[in-house]
Amino acid sequence: MRIFLLFIFLPSLAWAQNRVTISGYIKDAANGEALIGATIYIKSLSTGTTTNVYGFYSVTLDPGEYEVIYSYIGYTTQTKLLALITNTRIDIELAVEGKQLEEVVVSAESDQQGVKALEMSTNQLDIKTITRIPAFLGEADVIKSLQQLPGVSTVGEGASGFNVRGGNVGQNLILLDEASVYNSSHLLGFFSVFNPDAVKDTKLYKGAVPAQFGGRIASLLDVRMKEGNNKEYEVNGGIGTIFSRAAVEGPLFNGDGSFIVAGRRSYADVLARPFVDLLSEGGALNFYDLTGKANYNINERNRIFLSGYTGRDQFFFDKDQGFSWGNNTGTIRWNKIFNDRLFSNFSGVFSQYDYSLQFGENDQDNFKWQSSIRNLTFKPSFSYFINADNEISFGAEANYYSFEPANAYGTSNGTRLDVSLPEKYNLEAALYLGNSQRLNSNIAVEYGLRYSYFVGFGPGSQFTYNDTIPGTRRTPIAEQTFEKGSAMSTYQNFEPRFAFKAELNDQSSVKASYTRMVQYLHLISNTTASNPLDVWTPTSNNIKPELGDQWAVGYFRNLGKERNYELSVEAYYRNTQNQIDYIDGADLLINEFLEGDLLAGRGRAYGMEFFLQRKTGRLTGWIAYTLARTELKVDGINRNQWYAARFDQTHNLKVSGFYDINRRWSASANFTFVSGTPSTFPTSRYLVQGMLIPHNANESRNNVRLPAYHRLDISFRLEGKTVKRNGKERKNSDYWVFGVYNAYARKNPFSIYFTQGDERVAQGSPINSEARQLSIIGTVVPSVSYNFNF
Amino acid sequence: MNRFVKLSFALIAFTTVACEDVINPDLQPASPVLVVDAWLTNQPGPQSIKLTRSQPYFESVLPPGVSGASVTVVDQLGTTYTFNETESRGVYTWVPPAGEVFGTIGYEYDLTVIVGGETFVAASKMGQVPAIDSITFFVTEGGQFIPDLYQAEFWAKDPLEPGNAYWIKAYKNGQWLSKPSEIITAYDAGFTKGSGFNGIDFLPPIRRAINPFDEADDGSIKSPYVVGDSVFVEIHAVTEAAFNFLNEVSIQTDRPGGFSELFATPLANVDTNLKNTNPNGSPVLGFFNVGAKSGLGRKFSSLDEVTRIE
Repeated sequence: MRIFLLFIFLPSLAWAQNRVTISGYIKDAANGEALIGATIYIKSLSTGTTTNVYGFYSVTLDPGEYEVIYSYIGYTTQTKLLALITNTRIDIELAVEGKQLEEVVVSAESDQQGVKALEMSTNQLDIKTITRIPAFLGEADVIKSLQQLPGVSTVGEGASGFNVRGGNVGQNLILLDEASVYNSSHLLGFFSVFNPDAVKDTKLYKGAVPAQFGGRIASLLDVRMKEGNNKEYEVNGGIGTIFSRAAVEGPLFNGDGSFIVAGRRSYADVLARPFVDLLSEGGALNFYDLTGKANYNINERNRIFLSGYTGRDQFFFDKDQGFSWGNNTGTIRWNKIFNDRLFSNFSGVFSQYDYSLQFGENDQDNFKWQSSIRNLTFKPSFSYFINADNEISFGAEANYYSFEPANAYGTSNGTRLDVSLPEKYNLEAALYLGNSQRLNSNIAVEYGLRYSYFVGFGPGSQFTYNDTIPGTRRTPIAEQTFEKGSAMSTYQNFEPRFAFKAELNDQSSVKASYTRMVQYLHLISNTTASNPLDVWTPTSNNIKPELGDQWAVGYFRNLGKERNYELSVEAYYRNTQNQIDYIDGADLLINEFLEGDLLAGRGRAYGMEFFLQRKTGRLTGWIAYTLARTELKVDGINRNQWYAARFDQTHNLKVSGFYDINRRWSASANFTFVSGTPSTFPTSRYLVQGMLIPHNANESRNNVRLPAYHRLDISFRLEGKTVKRNGKERKNSDYWVFGVYNAYARKNPFSIYFTQGDERVAQGSPINSEARQLSIIGTVVPSVSYNFNF
Repeated sequence: MNRFVKLSFALIAFTTVACEDVINPDLQPASPVLVVDAWLTNQPGPQSIKLTRSQPYFESVLPPGVSGASVTVVDQLGTTYTFNETESRGVYTWVPPAGEVFGTIGYEYDLTVIVGGETFVAASKMGQVPAIDSITFFVTEGGQFIPDLYQAEFWAKDPLEPGNAYWIKAYKNGQWLSKPSEIITAYDAGFTKGSGFNGIDFLPPIRRAINPFDEADDGSIKSPYVVGDSVFVEIHAVTEAAFNFLNEVSIQTDRPGGFSELFATPLANVDTNLKNTNPNGSPVLGFFNVGAKSGLGRKFSSLDEVTRIE
């Protein structure tokens, strides 16, 4: 490691002697929040940079006089004339532009960033935008908002997670202040675990993921929490149809630090208790979460952050029967600026996801089952701003995982049996190095390499299974046990990353990228939507790491007189290996021989994404259209032919619009049109022992398309009065949101399923069979919420 | 366990806006396939095997029987049991000589079915079953919207040696509880092979799976049993392959709808243990299982028989 560092520093230090660096943080003048992706533009050189996720920037130039422009969309631009002789620290605070002209920002970078930045296949959503998108039951939601973007899809309402460019739900790396979130959903998939009051910014990488990140093959969702207002105390909150929220933030240590604490709780059970006698004593039907963060500026060069999340969904009939699931995360971070050009961050992360399920009324007869995944991560990362044209990033990551597939026991008629499965221990480590380099004023490249290593170690045992006969469950034929600490199976991979940008002119550019990603943890789920009891399981001697290679090309252009339209077109092709699939009848829960029920297959996904966005003005919004195909090929399924994945959608059109009617009223609307997802229909039926069994004589998987899905959502927002009756300005602000979801009450099909009739049929009589179409939301859902800030 | 989760999610659906409609989609055409329905037990009386053909999915009539077949079963000692076609089309029976029953626990059996010049074969081994010790009744007290629910529970202890699989069938007033949600299987005393429950009383959810939760005309839940009803429980030994078959049938047919659809697995064909001796010949469906059987019945004659209130 030390040699590795020297190798990077020596040459660059040597030739950088006679240059000067300006560096610093860019923050929001109102509350001190760091601005992510704010632009620093050196006018005479037509060059610049943007702030990183901590709001830090650094530009190295020849000594001289420069006009430096600091800007961030929605904020008043500041221009500084600087005579640079020595390294200079300049921290900037930008003020929000006129309050009523809040822009909706998707690519949060300044006006030109879509075209000018090297980055592609990313979408950024700041929290202002998220809160304006009409939402189910009026609750702004990070994950649902993402689904308005090109390349992002879902299997349907109520399904948890999201699918990016043909990846399944478990192939997204979801980070909340760098901590992995293993299940991002509350209440099935209707809400996500991210409290909008505590979220500052979200960024989705659908491809071209920098070498710094790895571990999942489809995408990276980077959610950054607010730091908290370091100028004054602030309380935000809201009262909605399904839950209420409150957040408190304010300065610490005389403004050298700040904190935010935000909580939410649903109250379905409180409202339902009088009506549902299923919830007896000790019963619960709710979810809650608590998000908190604090930071402290030790000095100009050192800053520490502490953030945490805890959340849980509970569903209990009574105190002994029911289930619950939840995530806990904690992150400690230390930003250290070694010098004006070397920025570093050291993160220590804890993350855990667990669920438990129990039933039985007394000590004589009961069953309890707990399962969890836990990880501890240490991640040092460095950005070295060599000069205006090169920014090197390098670092390492070590993840220690422990899996508890089942800590379970059951008691039957007084006899107690422990049926727990052994825990599993793994280490995933990585080193990375990347450079973002401007070759000339038009062309820039980013190249990087990530080396990842994965090992499972004892105590434990691994099984060898008989050969796969397609469609038949495999049985173990040998077992090998390992002592504590000894390595069971190891894997290593090199993951190259490459990105390229060429500006064709001031208004347009083309970009290309190649990304290889490797995934060592696998979400075991064979159901339509991912479910809270799905098990994460590590790579082993039987399960190989999943590999994904993605190629993407894109065209970016600014349009319009004021250049306030941004257009992008991207095409991608993704090839995956060792995708997990399941033998029919596979048993995924509490199964010691789970690995014998898994299949490995190949995947391919390709598509085109069109994105047109209007960024400023009274009417803002975007149109996102994706034309795509996602297919899998697994031995033993669909006659070993390629078949469409369950979330494959040929056409996916999303239109989002936001309109300021007057100073107090604004309106938002969403329109979604999605091609029907594939489903498997039977051809025939037959009887065995009086049981009616559906059969597909062609052995097809996903041979039919459901009808198309379309939906319109509308919401209106009424800002509270800003002036009191006596003419004085109000200190507090508030707003109402009135919304309708599924405005024209379309019964969108979630699935079509085949079943026999509900009636009890006497033996020997013919059984009636039918097809049923299910709509999860089959009607208009109105909502109202009240939100306040003081 | 899956069932418990399914039930829970179905309950959440109480409060939602989901809706379901019966529709009539066009299905791809398919040729009929031979179906062999051969489940033999050691109970006294004739044993029968049924040959039918698959039919279009929406054809809600009894499947056509296949006649003119040769159906034989041979045990590991070479004894041949010939199944002769009866008056009802497609049904072939073997009638035991007086005082004998079919099968010996632990023996292996081979089935051969010859239809239209093609030969289909399968093998099975007769497994053991525990006796059912007793059946008891308990009540879950209702509330505002749910009546008192009188339920039955059967008591039987899985034998000590692991690896036994069972199909449990419950009958209310002589009628088999045959809804897809009422398919009950057990592997040793638990639900699945890898679960480790062995040599004890069947787990409570298995013991209590013999209760039909039917809806009354007004949509309310009816008590599974009321005074005057009778309950009969059978345990059939099945092979591990047959256990997997029954679970696949349960997965493919038990579709309660609502939110449980979120967690449904894709429609897939249920496996068969029958094979055409000519790999390029016609396909075949169905299952061949040989297993011992035990049973016990009880009449719910008065509320005094309720031993526990929950």
